[in-house]
This record gives sequence, C-alpha cells and structure tokens, in this order.
Amino acid sequence: MKLLECPMNGVRPLSEFLFGGEYREMPDPDGSDDYEWAGYVHYRDNAPGVKKEWWYHGPSGTWFIAERNTLTDEVLKTYLFGKGQTAAGKTNKNQTTSTEQSI
Amino acid sequence: MTTPQTAMIRKTPVAYAQQALKPKMGELHGMEVALEFEGANVENARKQLLGVTDVSCFQRFSVKGPQAAAWLAGKGMNTPAAINSWDEAAPGTMILRLGGSEFLLEDQYSGDTCPGLAKDFKQADVPGVYKVQRADAAFILSGSEALDLLSELCMLDLRDSALSGNAVVMTQIAGISATLLRQTLNGQQVYRIWCDGTYGPYLWDMLTEVAQELGGGAVGLSCHFKK
Repeated sequence: MKLLECPMNGVRPLSEFLFGGEYREMPDPDGSDDYEWAGYVHYRDNAPGVKKEWWYHGPSGTWFIAERNTLTDEVLKTYLFGKGQTAAGKTNKNQTTSTEQSI
Repeated sequence: MTTPQTAMIRKTPVAYAQQALKPKMGELHGMEVALEFEGANVENARKQLLGVTDVSCFQRFSVKGPQAAAWLAGKGMNTPAAINSWDEAAPGTMILRLGGSEFLLEDQYSGDTCPGLAKDFKQADVPGVYKVQRADAAFILSGSEALDLLSELCMLDLRDSALSGNAVVMTQIAGISATLLRQTLNGQQVYRIWCDGTYGPYLWDMLTEVAQELGGGAVGLSCHFKK
C-alpha cells in the first residue's frame, strides 16, 4: 500500500488523497503579456525531476504541497502552502498517549 | 388562509436503510430515531460483542474561521488546544477540533448546549467566524470486536497510536470520508463515527453487514441511553 504524509493528519493510504496538479508560480496577471500567460495556463515541461505538486486529503479537506521526484516517485517533503515544512516518511509512532476521556 | 404551525419531525438519514429491520422508533431532538431492534437481551449482548447504533439525532453546531476558537471561548466553551483532538466543551457536550480552525460541537444524550450557540450566532456580528452547516449521519460502534470490524473497513491501522488519548481521526471507512474517535460511554469503550448524511444509509448497511458476520448487529438508542 502506498502511503503519503498529510501535514495535518499524518501518514495515510494514498487512496485518501487526490492529485491536484503541479504547483508553479503564477506570473503577475496585470504585468505579463499574452505569451507568458498562455505559457502559464497551457504549457507543462513534463520533464522528470523534483516537482512541487498540489495534493488534497479528502476526509479532512486539506490542500497541501508535496515535493515529489516524478522520476523515482519519491516524496521528499509535504507541507501546507505558505507554512512550515514537514519531512516525508515521518510516522506517528511516537505519538504520546494520555488518559481517554469519558463524556 | 393560514397554515397552522406544526413541529416538523425529521427522519434520521439512515431511516430507509433501517426500514427492513422494523425498529421501534422514537423521537429525540425533533428527529425520529430507532430505539430498539430486537429486544433488550439481544441488544445488550450485541452491545458487548459488536453493536452499531444510530445517533444522528444528537444536536450539533459547527463553526470555522480564524476567530472561531476565540468566539467559542467567549461563550464559555472549553476548546481543545491540539488539532485533530476532542474534549468536553461543556457538561454533556463534546467538541471536536477538525484541523486548525474548525470545530464541531455535539450534545450527547444529556447535553443541551448547541441550540443556544446556534441561537446566539449572528454572522454579521462575528467577523472571522463562519457557521458550518452539518447534516451528519452519526454512529456508535461498541463491543469487543469493534476493532476487527474497523480493520475490515478502514485502511488506517487503528490498533496502535492512531486513536490514542483524545485523538480525532479523519479517514475513509468503507471508501467514504468519515471522522472517527474513541470515547468511554457508560463505562464502555466505544468508537464514534460521523459521515455525510447522504452516505449514512450506505455506511449503516456496511457497518451492520460486517457486524452480523462477526456476531453482532444493530443496537437501538435505548440500549445505550435509558430514559
């Protein structure tokens, strides 16, 4: 089973995720010419290598960034857009336990 | 001509899935819910082995946004500090922190906090707080074989630390998105499951089907909560 680490929910089966496409910096819509804008909207280089990608964890509704080597399918790190970064492959084995609540 | 005001009784989202079992129905918080399926002796045995109970009728209130925690605290609610965890917001009311800034409150059988919060909430008066409409199907999974059922229906390994402490887990059960936690109810360790109400009949069917294979089955609300 393939696993992916959601920055909010931890390591989960890949079936809980959706791929959202490659993340690329958007050119300034007001300052870019048609050629540059069309390139951003339509063109992908598709060369294998380390890419930033949008991924979505369905059960929690979390969008995040994964840096993935598309040649080896190795995820290097995952993190929330614009926020801190977490290392890929980290598991929740060290999660602390506490007394369960009764209600 | 005016139409007389009558209190509307809603059906539980899983009503049609339960029809064939011919449960004894009752009303709680304006929703018709299955009180009993097979009689107390059978259901008490199921509850100890593997029982599935529909508690969609519990009252809920949900808000999200950067100021949601502060607004709830201002209303005297205890909010969990850790993301994806739960706590008791007020006596008889549990609160789930779903991610960073979304909260789901649910009155348990004896709780009555959510209607007051819903009444107090005025969108225009509270910038940074947004009400989230909930239409959940909600279940209690009880008994010694509950983890065996979940190991069949959930790909996440729930045996170890996934549900330790007051953790809330958002995962997939039988292929649909669900929220899961473990709590102690009347001295018994049980699992709580929430999913979108439209998936309720499907999840009810899946849970009870696997429960029957493992010797359990449907349990009515009366088995957990005596009037």
